[in-house]
Amino acid sequence: MPQPHGHTLKAFDRDMAELRGLITDMGAFAEAAIEEAMRCLVERDREAAHVLVEADVQLDELEAEAERRVVELIALRAPMADDLRDAIAALKIAGVVERIGDYAKNIARRVRRLPPKGEIEPLSLLPEMAKIASAMVHDVLTAFLERDADKAVAVCRRDDAVDDFYESIFRTLLTYMMEDPQNIGPSTTLLFVAKNLERIGDHATNIAEMVYYAATGERLVDGGD
Amino acid sequence: MIELLDRRADEAAGAASPPKIDVRGLEFFYGKSQALKSVHLAVPANAVTAIIGPSGCGKSTLLRTINRIYELYPDQRAAGEIVIDGRNILDPRYPLSTLRRCVGMVFQKPTPFATSIRKNVAFALSYYERLPKAELSDRTEDALRQAALWDEVKDKLDASALSLSGGQQQRLCIARTLAVRPEIILLDEPTSALDPISTAKIEELIHELRQRFTIVIVTHNMQQAARVSQRTAFFHLGELIEVGDTSQIFTNPHVQRTQDYITGRYG
Repeated sequence: MPQPHGHTLKAFDRDMAELRGLITDMGAFAEAAIEEAMRCLVERDREAAHVLVEADVQLDELEAEAERRVVELIALRAPMADDLRDAIAALKIAGVVERIGDYAKNIARRVRRLPPKGEIEPLSLLPEMAKIASAMVHDVLTAFLERDADKAVAVCRRDDAVDDFYESIFRTLLTYMMEDPQNIGPSTTLLFVAKNLERIGDHATNIAEMVYYAATGERLVDGGD
Repeated sequence: MIELLDRRADEAAGAASPPKIDVRGLEFFYGKSQALKSVHLAVPANAVTAIIGPSGCGKSTLLRTINRIYELYPDQRAAGEIVIDGRNILDPRYPLSTLRRCVGMVFQKPTPFATSIRKNVAFALSYYERLPKAELSDRTEDALRQAALWDEVKDKLDASALSLSGGQQQRLCIARTLAVRPEIILLDEPTSALDPISTAKIEELIHELRQRFTIVIVTHNMQQAARVSQRTAFFHLGELIEVGDTSQIFTNPHVQRTQDYITGRYG
């Protein structure tokens, strides 16, 4: 439902805008972390991967800040209807984005498990999968910022593509492992990375459902299908 | 959990059972200006229905119509029907004394009579019924207990009602209303002049009373409407804009104007 005009109490509009901004910042952080983790993986950049793992604490801090603001908003402003749904959605989304950051961190952690050099063939599939997953994160947070239920539904629909990617990478890696037992180590690592990306897609879908409920007051059934 | 299920059951019952008060096509005029426009509203029995809306939306007018108090003023006129237990109370043939006994009202400011606490309650009783002295005393105590005031006043029943605090005076007015055993209680902003603790006591009282009475409360305090009622009706410029279960109205109103009002985006 669109909001045709602001609140009579302008400070409430400011609080809500700041909260939305904070959640969007968290999303941008998580999105950048996914991209950087994938770059580190492809380029076997262990040093940058380490920096990325250490940086995750910043996302935790942003989540704590979002929680503090939502609690304060509920206590001081007593939001109702769509405002209340937005505040609760912001609280839940902050938690999920923090989790997405953890998956990016996990990917960065795997970098040192790969041989520092040399071609690993199935690795070429992963960046494309990561691109879809991080675009889902980007778009779902734009949907939250704009209270756009249709955009949220569109994000849900893309989760199938990520799942298909996962299936295909799983099969490829399995074949690769069967060809040569020496491949088992790096392939297992890549399998974990693919799983992490698949989970990021699932979480983006969860956020889409929260955005849909906040915007419309109705529950999104089965990813909008 | 059980409480939650009870509440859900209550809400379902409220929507399904025949209404205690059925407002049908009600119009109201102050002289030439129309204050209510074609209002249709079903008020369920044994539940609290909150009427919310900005000043001048017609919510107090609706209460004044349900007990026909407006008839005291020339130039004020109602059309349409208000059906209570199958009878249209706006029909001039409907006896006013029956209506007043069935429908009690409590106002924004406490209105105790300048006499003793005991007489405040007993007066209403002896107005409608001839009771032996012992029973009069029992019924007075009963009403004061129901209004959660007995423990505070039992040792000073002959003290002046005006010596009570604002919150106590308001509960005395509720006791006075309850004494004649009405079926419907109309509350017109009953706590707007009270402090938070007195307000909480009255809200707790409303919660208990709804087991036995049909309650309609007009309030400017949205949080209060959310706390005490099972059904909420939103009025704007004399029209009923939306009515529904209180939980629905405050979490997911279906009409934009309702949403704008309860979230403070009105105007």
